[in-house]
This record gives sequence, structure tokens and C-alpha cells, in this order.
Amino acid sequence: MQMNSHRLQKKEQKLAMILLLPSFVILFLIAFYPLFTVFSTSLTDKKFASSRTVRFVGMDNYQKLLSMKVAELEPLLDASGKQMIDTTTQKPAYQDPIDILPREPYRYKAVSQFDFFGRHYVFAATDPEFIQSIGDTIVFTVLSVLLETILGMVIALVMIKNFPGRGGLRVAMLVPWAIPTAVSSRMWEWMFASTRVGVINVICQWFGWTNGQFPFLTAESTQVWAMIAIDVWKTTPFMALLLMAGLQTIPPGIYEAAKIDGCNAVQRFWKMTMPLVKDTLLVALVFRTLDALRVFDLFQIVFAQKRYSMASFAYYQLIDNKMMGYSSAASVVIFFIILLFIIIYTRISGGVANEK
Amino acid sequence: MKSKSKTIGHIAFWILVIVMFFYLVFPFYWTIVTSLKTESQLMMTPATFIPRDPVTHEAKASLINYKAVFSNATFLRGIKNSAIVSISVTLICLVVGAFVAFALGKLRFKGKTFSLYLILSMTMFPQISVLTGLYSVINRLHIDAIPAMILSYMLFTLPFTIWVMTSFFKGIPDSLLQAANVDGATNFQAFYMILLPLTVPAMVTTGLLAFIAAWNEYLFALTFTSIESSARTVPVAMALFSGTVARQEPFGEIMAASVVVTIPLLVLIYIFQKRLVEGLTAGAVKG
Repeated sequence: MQMNSHRLQKKEQKLAMILLLPSFVILFLIAFYPLFTVFSTSLTDKKFASSRTVRFVGMDNYQKLLSMKVAELEPLLDASGKQMIDTTTQKPAYQDPIDILPREPYRYKAVSQFDFFGRHYVFAATDPEFIQSIGDTIVFTVLSVLLETILGMVIALVMIKNFPGRGGLRVAMLVPWAIPTAVSSRMWEWMFASTRVGVINVICQWFGWTNGQFPFLTAESTQVWAMIAIDVWKTTPFMALLLMAGLQTIPPGIYEAAKIDGCNAVQRFWKMTMPLVKDTLLVALVFRTLDALRVFDLFQIVFAQKRYSMASFAYYQLIDNKMMGYSSAASVVIFFIILLFIIIYTRISGGVANEK
Repeated sequence: MKSKSKTIGHIAFWILVIVMFFYLVFPFYWTIVTSLKTESQLMMTPATFIPRDPVTHEAKASLINYKAVFSNATFLRGIKNSAIVSISVTLICLVVGAFVAFALGKLRFKGKTFSLYLILSMTMFPQISVLTGLYSVINRLHIDAIPAMILSYMLFTLPFTIWVMTSFFKGIPDSLLQAANVDGATNFQAFYMILLPLTVPAMVTTGLLAFIAAWNEYLFALTFTSIESSARTVPVAMALFSGTVARQEPFGEIMAASVVVTIPLLVLIYIFQKRLVEGLTAGAVKG
């Protein structure tokens, strides 16, 4: 008998291996092996679609991508020793950053200037576009995930109530989620048009916020906000769905008890609802954050090379500049940034993964 | 007093519902309206909320953009390519995924937990991080753009399918498998003759989600068709849409194409909405 069960187990083991094989071959081919080659390519100066011999360059790509520097700028003095005033901006003049920033091994380019304790500084990087793409993507991620969590929670709280037309609203909710991002990017691009042919300018003019001519997608101050608006519209429904699933598991009886004990709606929400949906919320946050960090379609379609997300930067380095090694290094940096976020979340949640 | 505050609450609730509805649906409404406008109607300022004649301001819709879209060979080929890619991805994913899900959900073997975690970790994989590597693999194996897309889309559809289907297989009572074994069926026979038919509902849900994900994919499609433009899928065709007149972006046609691309998805969603919601939440919450 024991012999028999041992044999059965052997058979199960063998069958399992056979069943797992195709999937693992596919995943090895499209995930693990490519990831490994990306790591190794990032240490070379490999060009895309070129027969030139590939050289090993060590950490050069990373150095060029990530080098940053803050340097003090000396004030420019006139003959009497007083600081000169820039005639066009009417602000005190300082020396040109180009004069003091290092050029070897890679040239530093000024990103921004700022004052600190009465001294004037310049912030510079060897690849300002990549540094800016990291900053933009993180701002985009934090704000859009925050906004869609709040909105998603409001929608979920409404949707778990029983009211006529709930089914219709639920279908309406799936509309933004189902529309391909490539499509919704073009839709919103049109809505954000810089004249009153764009509906957002029409609406803003009603309220007197703009003169009906505001170029949302080309003005630097609104570019990232426009991206956030599109992303929030598209992904709030997903967040709301997850939260709804979490809310539905809460037994309604506990609210009745709390009401009798004199808890008001706000207290009930913070003291009861929130702790009970915490796990669902965390999982949803992880998903949305990782998705937002790898955002590509939105930025690539709306901005092309006017402004980058981390992913669209890596894409253009590969496809347009043919810099395979450099693009790979950027991809590795993105990989680690995303990994960092995963680690932070697992720490906060006390190990979501461990509970499974 | 009490009933008065109740009425106010009631009204506030309905205002909230209406605002939500408008927020969710308005951009798509705007797309449809735009797609029904002619070039001169598009340029009217301020933009009109239904298509109107530029001179008389009477309501007047036009199908000219749809005609243009349906005679645009690039776009039609895009739909064909997208259909081929998405359907293939879905089918392969379901077959291969069901194998793994059965093994992970019902069989006892060494390395099960490890396999499960390996697949779970895949759902967090940033696509961009493997892009250059994947391109090299595909070049080395001389794979054409369409099979390349089918293969590479597995990166995000397969882990998800496995994850949802595994939990489904776990829910099927063990006794069913044992009874089949007693009757002389091998494990594999029990799998495809008894268990598989039971998982059809889960297959429909995960299949749909995989299909929608594949239909919407953009990064790999754009990269792998950058040389082979005849293999472009709909999202790529949409992004690169340039009308017959190069003067400016043909937004009327772009919006008509948007509607055409979205309608099939909306029909699918309408039919399967209940299952989809369950699948989405199950997949994500468990994943």
C-alpha cells in the first residue's frame, strides 16, 4: 500500500513537471533570459542593428545616466565691485554654469538654479532628460495613485449602496477601463486642444479660468497634470472595482451596532471601514503604483520626445538613437526603482506576500 | 426634522451618482460627437456639444469620418492583425495556463511553492526592463513581428491566467480527482475529461481579460513592428494615424477609429460584465 502511494506520488511529480514545462520555457524565453541580457548589455556600448564590435565599458552608461552635481555660482561683479543686474530679467547676475561645470568624462548640463542661505547654486546632470523623466514619472505616479484612490473610494462607497440604475453605472464604470490607452490618449489629446475646439478650454473659459487658448499639452507647468488627469480617468474604475470587492466582504451588521453606539458616519468610515479594507487597498495600491511607474503609451503618444516618462526615455534611446547599451542601463535603473517601491510596500504592509 | 435631513442626503447622493456617471462617460461621448463632425464643424469655436452646421447652427451629423476609416487600408489591416494576435495569445495562454494551474492547484510535487512565487513575481515585471533583451532574442530566432507579439504578450497574460485559474482549480473538491483515479483514469485524463469542463466559467473570464490586455498592448507592438509596418496592430495604427490630408492631424477620423476600436470591447464587456468584475477583482486581489 505504502509502495503504491509512493509510486502515485512519483507519477504526480512527473506529470506536474510535464505540465509546467511549456509555461516555464515561454517565461524563460521572454522574461528571465532577456532580463539577464539587459543586465549584461547595459555594461557595453552595443549599438542597435549594427555590426560594429561591441566593447565592454563597465559602469560608463550608468555614470552618464545618473551623474548629478550641485555647484555654487559666483555673482558677477561690475567695476565698482557691486553685483550686476541682468538687463532682461532684472535679477542679479551670476556666472554662466557652462564655465564651471565639468566636461570630463561627460559634460554636465544645468537643470535648474536655486538660492540657498543667500548663495546661488546650479543643479546639473550629465543626462538631464533621464533625471527629469525619473522625477516626472514619480510625481505622476504618486499624484495619480493618490487621486484615484480617493476617487475610487468615493465611487466604491456609492456603488455598494443599492439604488436603481446601479447596473448601468457599473457598465459605465468599465468604459474607461476597457478603452485602449492608445485610444484614450488620442481622445484626451483632442479634448486638451489649445483653442476652443478643445472641450476643456471651453469649460475652463465658462468658469473664467483660462482665456480659451490655454495650451495644456505644451505648457510645461500643466503637462504632467494633463497626464495625471488622463490616467486618473482611465484607472479610477479599476481601483473602485477592487475596493468594492473589499467593501462587500464587510458584514453590514457591524455598522448597525456602531450606529446604535452613537458612531457618526465619519467615525464609522475611519474606525471600521478603513481597517477592514486595508489589505485590499494595499494590494490595489501596489498594482496601480507599479503600473503607473512603467507608464509608456500616454507619454509616448501625447508627447513623443517633448517630455519623457522613464519607459518612453528608454524606448527612444533604443529605437531612435540605437543606443542599445545605454537604453539597457536605463531599463536596469527603472527595474531597480520599481523593485524599491515593491520593497517599501511589503515593509509597510508587514509582508503582504507572506500572508499568501 | 429627521426626514428633512434624510431628503437632503438623498438628493446629495443622487447628485453624486450623476456627477460620477458624467465623469466616467463624458470623454467617450465627446469622442462619438467628434467622430460625427466634418472638418469645418471640428474647427468651430467654441466647440459644440452636438454636431451643428457651421452657418445655420442646426444639428447635423456626418458619417464622412467613418467612411474614411473603413476605406483606410492601414487601419483595416490593423484590426486584422490585432484580432490574429489577441485571439492567438488568448488561446495559447488558456491551454498552457490551464496545465500549470492544474498542476499547482491539484497535484503534489516538489518545488510547488517556489513555482507559485516565481509566477507571482512575474506579475510585477516591468515590460520596459526586458525590451532590449527581448528584441535580441527575437532577432536571433528570426521571428516575424506577429509571432513575436504573440510570444511576448505572454509576459503579462500568462502569469495572470495561471494565478486566477489556480485558485479556481483549488476550489474543486479533491474527491472528484480521486474518484476518477479509482475508476482507472490517469491524472491527465481526469484533468481534461472531468476537471477542465468544470473550469469553463473561469476560462471565459480569464480568456476575456487576456484578450482585452492583448488588444490594448502598445509598447511591444510599437517596438516589434517598427521595421515591419504591415504587422501593426490597432493601437499602433491609432497612434500613428495620419489622414489623407497631411495638413493637420485628422482628429475626426482618429475619433471615428477610436469608436470602431472600442465598440467590440464594450459589447464584450456588456455581455460578460458580471463575470468580468469577479475575474478582475479575484485576479487582482489574489494576485
